[in-house]
Amino acid sequence: MEKNFITCKAGQRKIWGKAFRWMLLAAAGGTALTGCKGNVPDGEIISFSEITDAEDQAVKSQGGDSLDFKSQNIEDQAKGNRESTEGVVNFDRELDGYQPLKKNYNFYFTYKQIHPWWDAVALGIEDAAKAYEKLGIVIDYEYLAPDEASAQDQVRRLSEASLRGFDVIGVDVADAGIVTPAVNELMEKGQKVMTFSSSDAGREDGCSRIAYVGNTHNYEDGAELTEALCEKLGYSGNIAVLVGVEDAPCHEDRARGVRDVIEKYPDMEIAEIAYDEDSVENACNLTREILKRQKDLAGIVCCNMSNPVGAARAVIEAGREDEIVIVGMDHDQEALRYLRDGIIYALGIQDCYSIGYDTIQVAVKIADGLLPGEAYPEKTEEITTIIYQDSAAAVLQTLYGEIE
Amino acid sequence: MGESQNHGMKEKQQRKQTIAFALLGGAMIAVILLITTIWASNRARISTRQAVSRVSEFYLEELAGRRAQVVSEELKNHVTYMKNAVDILEPSDLESQESLRSFLGKVKKLYGVDKFALVDENGIVYAQHSTTSGLSRYGFLSQELTEPVIQTQNLYGAKKQVILAIPVEDVFFQGLRIKICFTQINISEMLSSLTLQANDNETYCNLYYRNGESLTNDSFGYLTAGKNLLSELKEAEMKDGSSYEKLREDFDKGKGGQISFRYHGAEEDLCYVPVEGTNWVLTILIRNNVISDQIGSISSAMMKRSIIQIAITMFVMLVVFSLLIYQSRKSAGFLLEQEKADGNRIRAAYAQIERERTAMDNIHAAMDSGLWSMEFNKHGEMISCTWSDVFRRMVGYEGEDDFPDCLESWSDLLHKDDKKQALKEYWDTVYDYTNEKTYDVEYRLLTRHAGWRWFHSAGRLSRREDGSPITFVGLFVDIDSEKRMEEQLQRQKVDLEDALAAAQHANKAKTTFLNNMSHDIRTPMNAIIGFTSLAAAHIDNREQVQDYLSKITTSSNHLLSLINDVLDMSRIESGKVKIEEKETYLPEVMHDLKTIVQADITSRQLEFYIDTADVLNEHILCDKLRLNQVLLNLLSNAMKFTKPGGMVSVRILQKGKAPEGFASYEFQVKDTGVGMSREFLEHVFEPFEREKTSTVSGIQGTGLGMAITKNIVDMMGGSITVVSEEGKGSTFTVDLQFRICSGPVRQDEIPELKGLRALVADDDFNTCSSVTKMLSTIGMRPDWTTSGKEAVLRAKLAREQNDGYSAYIIDWLMPDMNGIEVVRRIRGMIGDETPIIILTAYDWSDIEEEARKAGVTAFCSKPIFLSELREILESPFTMQSMNSQKQNTVSFEGKKLLLVEDNELNQEIAVEILQETGFVMDVADDGAVAVEKLKGAEPGQYDLILMDIQMPILNGYEATKQIRALNQPGISDIPIIAMTANAFDEDKKAALAAGMNGHIAKPIDVPKLMELLTEILNQG
Repeated sequence: MEKNFITCKAGQRKIWGKAFRWMLLAAAGGTALTGCKGNVPDGEIISFSEITDAEDQAVKSQGGDSLDFKSQNIEDQAKGNRESTEGVVNFDRELDGYQPLKKNYNFYFTYKQIHPWWDAVALGIEDAAKAYEKLGIVIDYEYLAPDEASAQDQVRRLSEASLRGFDVIGVDVADAGIVTPAVNELMEKGQKVMTFSSSDAGREDGCSRIAYVGNTHNYEDGAELTEALCEKLGYSGNIAVLVGVEDAPCHEDRARGVRDVIEKYPDMEIAEIAYDEDSVENACNLTREILKRQKDLAGIVCCNMSNPVGAARAVIEAGREDEIVIVGMDHDQEALRYLRDGIIYALGIQDCYSIGYDTIQVAVKIADGLLPGEAYPEKTEEITTIIYQDSAAAVLQTLYGEIE
Repeated sequence: MGESQNHGMKEKQQRKQTIAFALLGGAMIAVILLITTIWASNRARISTRQAVSRVSEFYLEELAGRRAQVVSEELKNHVTYMKNAVDILEPSDLESQESLRSFLGKVKKLYGVDKFALVDENGIVYAQHSTTSGLSRYGFLSQELTEPVIQTQNLYGAKKQVILAIPVEDVFFQGLRIKICFTQINISEMLSSLTLQANDNETYCNLYYRNGESLTNDSFGYLTAGKNLLSELKEAEMKDGSSYEKLREDFDKGKGGQISFRYHGAEEDLCYVPVEGTNWVLTILIRNNVISDQIGSISSAMMKRSIIQIAITMFVMLVVFSLLIYQSRKSAGFLLEQEKADGNRIRAAYAQIERERTAMDNIHAAMDSGLWSMEFNKHGEMISCTWSDVFRRMVGYEGEDDFPDCLESWSDLLHKDDKKQALKEYWDTVYDYTNEKTYDVEYRLLTRHAGWRWFHSAGRLSRREDGSPITFVGLFVDIDSEKRMEEQLQRQKVDLEDALAAAQHANKAKTTFLNNMSHDIRTPMNAIIGFTSLAAAHIDNREQVQDYLSKITTSSNHLLSLINDVLDMSRIESGKVKIEEKETYLPEVMHDLKTIVQADITSRQLEFYIDTADVLNEHILCDKLRLNQVLLNLLSNAMKFTKPGGMVSVRILQKGKAPEGFASYEFQVKDTGVGMSREFLEHVFEPFEREKTSTVSGIQGTGLGMAITKNIVDMMGGSITVVSEEGKGSTFTVDLQFRICSGPVRQDEIPELKGLRALVADDDFNTCSSVTKMLSTIGMRPDWTTSGKEAVLRAKLAREQNDGYSAYIIDWLMPDMNGIEVVRRIRGMIGDETPIIILTAYDWSDIEEEARKAGVTAFCSKPIFLSELREILESPFTMQSMNSQKQNTVSFEGKKLLLVEDNELNQEIAVEILQETGFVMDVADDGAVAVEKLKGAEPGQYDLILMDIQMPILNGYEATKQIRALNQPGISDIPIIAMTANAFDEDKKAALAAGMNGHIAKPIDVPKLMELLTEILNQG
C-alpha cells in the first residue's frame, strides 16, 4: 500500500476519452481508484495509501487479494494507455476480406522526400504486405523518394516506373501542377496510377488518377489546430505561422485553414508566415528570428512535422515557453515529448500506419481492375486526431515504446 | 435353560468386548496415522523450502549464464550468417532486381530472421519483397561501417527490433556499391525461446542496457513493461544483504550478480549476467515468495488430504462390512420370486402383442396401407426398423433383400424437394419427448416401376416415463392420384385468375386509352373547328384571318404528331416495329441531331452543348432512324421544358465494358428546365402520362413521347433512366450496346505532329478535356484553358519561351472574349503559318468571312470525334471549310411535274404549293390515267412524277411498275416520288421496291418535299 501507482490529472481542458473511461471503469469495478471520481483538482496525486481498509477488504471479499489486484492494475495501466491511443493510430488492422484475383502483385510507390513521417506509412505498407503473404499472396513493392522534395524528380520517377511493368504506381503528389500531366499521361498509356499519403491531385483538378488514400482534410486540420490555439489565447494576440514546403498541397491547405480561422477573430492577427522546407534546423532558426522581431508573440501554428520541433526548441532557448502557445502537426517523438512536458499545447496526429495499410489494400483492388465504387471509395479518408498534454505520454508509449 | 442363558450372555459379552477392542484399535491407528502425517508434512515443507532456496540460487545463476551465452551466440551466429550470405552472393544473383530478391528471400528463410537486406551507397534498402529508401528509418545507414554493429531500433508502433549490420565490400548492384548487409530480429521473439515463464508468471527473462533501459516491452515481474530496471528498483526493499548500489555498480561495469528484494509486496530473486560482445545485461527474475507460498500450500493440502483420507477409509470399511452381511442374507429368496413374476408378465405381453399385430395386419390389408415400425433404445437411438411387405409392394419391391429393413431404404427414395421436410418431421416427432406431436407428412418417393408418386405417411410413438422413444409405428398410403388431381385444379384456378386479371386490365387500358384519346384529339380539333369558323366569320380581315390560320396550323401540327405517336405506339405494342441494323457513322448521327434541333434551340434562346468522351468505335451497326428518334424525343422534351436562357446538352460516352465485337455507349441528355416531381418520375415512361405542370403551363404534348422512347430503347436491348429535380432540370441517360462494324478509330500517333504543342480554348471543360485527350492520342502535347484571354496569354508566353504552339483549337463563343477576337490577337502574334481552327456548335456561315479575315484556318463542328480531328490535322490546311454547308440549289422554274392524285382537295393543295415554287403542273386522277399520259408523252415532257398510292382503278405501285416497264427511254426512267398517307417503314420499302425514287408522307411537309425534290432532281 505504500507505492503510488496512478497519477490522475483531471480538470484539464480536454481529457482523452478512453484513458479517462478506463479510470472510471476501474473505479466502478470497486477497486482502489475511487479517489479519481468526482472533481479532482489539477495535478492532484491519488495514491494507494489513500485506499481505506474497508475498500481493501471489499477487494479481498470479491475473491482476489490486494497483491493480485495491484499487479493487475499495473498491467491494466499499460493496456489502458494502449487503449487510450487506439483512436489515434490503429495498429490492430486486419485485411478487409477482399479476395485478390492474383497470387503476385508488383507495386511502385514514390513519395515527397525521405523523412520519418513516410517511414510510419512504410510500416503500414509492410504489415499489409505481410498480412497478404500469410494468405499466400505475395506483394512486391518499391517505396522510394528523393532526399529533398522535387516535383521534377517525381515526374522522372513516374516515367521510369511506367516502363517497368508495375501493376499499380502510387504517388504522393509533390506539386499537383507539375505531376498531374505526368499522371494523366501514364493513365492514357494504360498504366494504373493512384495517389496516397499526404497529397492528392484530384479529378476535380483535371487529374485522372484512379483513387487516393490518405489525409483528405488538411484544411480542416489546420483550422482545428488554430481554433484550439485561439481558444487557449482567449481569442486575442499575434501569432506566427510556420509552414513546410511552398506549394506542397497538404502544407498549403493547412496554412489556408489557419488564415481563415484567424480572419474570423478581430483581435487575432498573423504577424509572420515562414517556410522551413521540412527542416527542423530551418524551423528553429526561423522561430529564433521571429521571436527577436515579435516581442508580443502569443502563439505559433505549425503546419508540418518539422515545424513544432524547431519552434519548441527556439522557444525554450528564448525562455518564453510560458508566454507562447505552440500547436502543430504530426507525431515526431521530440514533439510528443514537448507536448508531454507542456511546451507544445496541442498536436494533430495522422494515422500514418492506416494510410500505408489501406494503400496496399486499395492498390490490390486497382490491380485487379476494380474501379472506385462498392469495393473501395475514390478517396479513402484517414483520420487526424488532435491530442493534448494529458494523452501525450500514452501516445509516446504506443508509438515509440517510450515510458515516462 | 440357565446354561443356555449363560452361554448367550457370554457370547453377547464377548461380542461387545470384540467390538470395543476393534473400535479402540481403529481409533489408535487413526491417531497414529494422523500424527505421523502432520509431522512428515511439516518436515517436508521445511526441507523443500531450504532445498528450493539453495537450488534456485544455483539454478538462477546457471540459467542466466546459459541464456546470456545463448543470446551472445545467437548474435554472433547472425553476424556469421550474414558474412556467409554475402560470401555466397553470386554475380547471377546481382543481375536483376528479381534475382536479388530471390536470393534475399532464400537467405531470410534459411536463417529465419524478420528481415534480411542489403543497402547501397544511396541508402536504398533491398529486401525480399521490397525496395525502400531507408536513410531516415535506419540511423546506421548514414555511417561508414568498418565492423559489425548491433543496434536496437524502436520503430513507430513500439515494435522493438535488433538490427545486426556488417560492412560489405566489392559488391555492386545496378552500378551502385552495396555497402551494408543487415538483419532485423524481433527481440521479443528471440527471448520467447529463452524464457522460462510459466503459466502462472513466476519466472521472467529480459534484456536491459547497462543503464537499465529495457530492450523489450515485455513484462518483467511487477515491473511496468518497458520501464528502466534501475529506476524501478530504487523503490524496492533489498533483502538478505542485497544492495541497490551494488546492483547499479554491477550494471555499470558489466558484471553479473544476484539480489533478493521485496517489490510491491512480493519477494523476488533477480539474477543478471552481461551478454558478451554487447552492452546488454540478461536478467532472470523469480518470485521467491510465490514459490514458498505454493510449497507451503501444497504441504498443507497434502496433510489435510491425508487426514480426510484416513477418516473416510475407516468409515467406509465399517459401512461396507455391515452392508455385506445384511445383503447376503436377504438377496437369495427375493431373486427367485422376482424371476417367476417377470416370466408371467412377459408371456402375457407377448400374447397381447400377437393379437394386436393380427388385428393391424387385417386393417392394413383392407385399407391398402403399408405398415412400418421402428424400435429405439433408452438413449433414443434406433435399434431396429421394419417395413411391412405391403409397404414394400407399394414402392415396387418384393422382399428384404430388395428393400432392407433400414431407414435409408426409404429416405434414399425421397424426392429432393420433399426430403428435408419429411426427415425433419420424422426427427422432430422422435425427439418430441412431450409426445404431443404426430408424424403426418406427404412426400414423393421414387417407386421402382411407376416413377415419382405421392404418399401420405402418419405415425405415433410410444415412450418411456422420461419421454424417450420406444416404438414408432405408422401407416403409409398412396395418394398420388388425389394429389395430381389437386395440382391440376390449382393450376386451372391460377390460369383462370390470370385470364380474368388480364381481361380486366385490358378492358381498363382500353377505357383509359379511349378517354385519353378522346380528350387529346378533341382539344386540337376544337381549336381547328373554332378558329376555322372564326376565320370564315372574319374573312375580310386579312390580319385576323392570318392569326387564326396560324393557330389552326399549330393545332393541326399537334393533332398530326398525336396521330403519329399513337400509331407508332400501337405498332410498337403490336410488335410490328422491327429494329433494323445498318452501318451507321456515329459522328453523322450526332451532327444530324445538332442540325435538326439548331433552329429550335436558337428560337428558344437556349444554350446547347454537345460533346463526346472516349468514343473509340465510331462505325456501328444500329437502326439509325430509331436511334435518332430516341435522341430527338429526349431533346425535344428537354427543349420544350427549358425556359429561354437555360441549357440543354447531349453527351455521348463509350463505356469500357462490352463483349468482343460490341461497344457500349451512354447517351446523356441533360437540361436545366422545370424538372419533374418525384411522383411523376415513377410514371414518366407510361403512355399518356403528362406532368400536371405541363398542362398548366400550356406546354403541348401527347404524353406518348417518353413511352415510345422507352419502348424503342427496350427493343434495342438498352435501358433508359432519368434523374430529375423540380426546378433544377432533368437528365435522361440511355445505355445502348451496338455491334461494331469496323475496328476502333486509329489510336496511333501522327508522326509529323508528334511532340508538337497544341492549345485548346473552350469555356466548356468537357470539350477541353475531350479534345485534349484526343490530341494526346495523336502524339501532340496539348494545353487547355477555359478562358479566351488566357489563351492569348498562353500563346504569348509559349512564343516567348521558344516553345510555341503548332495548332490552336478555339471555341467560337467564350464568355470573356469571343473566338474570332482570340484568333485575331493570336494571329497578330504568331503570323500566318500556324493553323487555327474554330470549333463551334453553330452554323458559321454568317461569320465565315469575318473569321477568315481574322486568320481562321478552318472550322470544325461540335461535337468533334477523334477521326474528324485526325482528318483535319493530318491533311494540309486549306482555306476550305471542313464541313462546308453550302449546297447546290436547284431552280424549279419551268420544271414539269405530273401529279397523280385521286382526291380533288389534295390535288388542289399540291398544285398550289408546287406552282408557287415554279413547277409547271399536270394532273392525273388515277394511276391508269397517268400510265396512259406517259405512254403518249415525249421524252422531256415530264421531269418528275408525284404518285399517290391508294387510287380506285390502278394503285401507285402498279402504275409505277407499268411506267418502269414501258419501252420508252426518257419516259420509263422518269423519277417517281410516292406521296401518300401510308407513312410507315414498310410503305417506304414497298415504294422503293415498286421502282419509285423516293417517298413523302401526307400531310405534306413543304420544306421536306422541297428538300426531296431538290435531291432527286439534282441526281437527275
